[in-house]
Amino acid sequence: MVKLFNLSKSYGRDLHALRDLTLSVPKGDFVYITGPSGAGKSTLLRLLFAAEVPTRGQILIGGQNLGRLGNRQIALMRRKIGVVFQDFKLINSRTIYENVAFPLEVQGKKRYEVSNKVYQVLKHVGLEHKLKRFPKELSGGEQQRIAIARALVIEPQLLIADEPTGNLDPEVTLEIMELFKSANARGTTVLLATHDRQMIQRFPRRIVSLEAGRLSADTES
Amino acid sequence: MLRKTFYFLLRAVRNMWQSPMLTSASIVTVTVALAVLAFFAVLVQNISDVTRHWSEEVQVVVYLASKPDAAERNADIQKLRADPAVVSVAYISPEQARNSFRQRLGADEDLIKGMPSDFLPASYELHLSEEMRSETGVKQLVERLRQQPRYRDLRYGQEWLERYGAIISLLRVGGFIMGGFLLFAALFIVANTIRLTLYARREELEVMTLVGATPWFVRAPFLLEGGLQGFVGGLFALLVTFGLYHLALRSQLATLFMASGVGQIHFLPAAYQVYLLLTGTFLGLFGSLVSLRRFVRISP
Repeated sequence: MVKLFNLSKSYGRDLHALRDLTLSVPKGDFVYITGPSGAGKSTLLRLLFAAEVPTRGQILIGGQNLGRLGNRQIALMRRKIGVVFQDFKLINSRTIYENVAFPLEVQGKKRYEVSNKVYQVLKHVGLEHKLKRFPKELSGGEQQRIAIARALVIEPQLLIADEPTGNLDPEVTLEIMELFKSANARGTTVLLATHDRQMIQRFPRRIVSLEAGRLSADTES
Repeated sequence: MLRKTFYFLLRAVRNMWQSPMLTSASIVTVTVALAVLAFFAVLVQNISDVTRHWSEEVQVVVYLASKPDAAERNADIQKLRADPAVVSVAYISPEQARNSFRQRLGADEDLIKGMPSDFLPASYELHLSEEMRSETGVKQLVERLRQQPRYRDLRYGQEWLERYGAIISLLRVGGFIMGGFLLFAALFIVANTIRLTLYARREELEVMTLVGATPWFVRAPFLLEGGLQGFVGGLFALLVTFGLYHLALRSQLATLFMASGVGQIHFLPAAYQVYLLLTGTFLGLFGSLVSLRRFVRISP
């Protein structure tokens, strides 16, 4: 699903966020990206959904070379990728329903199809009763579940999450992890950046460790 | 297609509804800029109406070396009329010239008593077509007429013509410069106001691009919003100018121009009103486009 070849990303001359990273993630895999702060986890994820452009190297997603895509094609490629952030990135002026419906609206889906899917995914994350609320009226854990619902509503082939539980307490973390697990069980490839050791031990999966921008370990646990 | 347009329109209207302050600021900016422009256009247009009216007085008088006989006269008139710059030709015999001179002298008519009846030369008065009533047009005609040796002298009010030409070009250049400045200022302010709107919605824009919106899908509602605001601004500008025109400008201008004999003061013609609306719409669209180029990036 994801293939990286000699991927490097530098900012200016001296700051090397990623160095010569080669990695392959098969379809349906669940991979933790770990490492200390500044190891390059976030940079790697941002490169994957083309929010950044690599300094060197190639990225293949579902067989498509990101470096060869124009703006429009990048947009179309993102429709197959769900992204979840530590700070949720919900639109505060829109209701929960509207936030989750947003990716489908962008794709021009019909109204009944949108409402059907939004309701189903909200039910899946257990927040179908809050669809008329606004993000700020919800707790952090609930907001993250909404953000995951927004990522899942498009039935993505790839789910990318950057420290999705970083701001949440341990109980909520478990709920969130269950959501990722079930998405993975339905065939979605999951890439999850975290430095939460406990979580990794509790839900052991393949671990890709980064250190100072280099691949330091790739272990199946 | 129709569904998409409707969706964009809905979003544009909703966006405006959600940030009424910024929306009003954009509309007011366009309104003020275009109202000043329209007001100025009404002025320029009426002044140039007056000057056009004055220019009807521009004529060339051809003084003859000797009094022509009937055949010569007919031949001359025909030839002069054939010139594309000439609309009509009037023959003034020495006797007619003497009469009108006498009338102008009024009480002093004794001065020419005893002068022979043909002491003034015979002449042709040429009325010129509108496009030839300029300095260069008249000079070209005069050059052509000088070829004919029987035309002893040619008079055409050089000084007046030069001044008239200067006024017209001053108005035109002034109008262009001022209009250009106003439009540029309006564009600048509209672009900045829309940039503020975009800044206020940057999280939404970011999320849009992240969930796979194509560049045009992101831009379309904002462009539509800009265009709508510009159009409404243009409409308000038209109403404001029309109001001002009816309340003050019309009577003021009428008083000012009364002496010149111009019958009526006009508001902007329909075509100009449409241009004003189009300009407003264009200002809004272009202002949005300029800002969007900076704000909406699908990838770096």
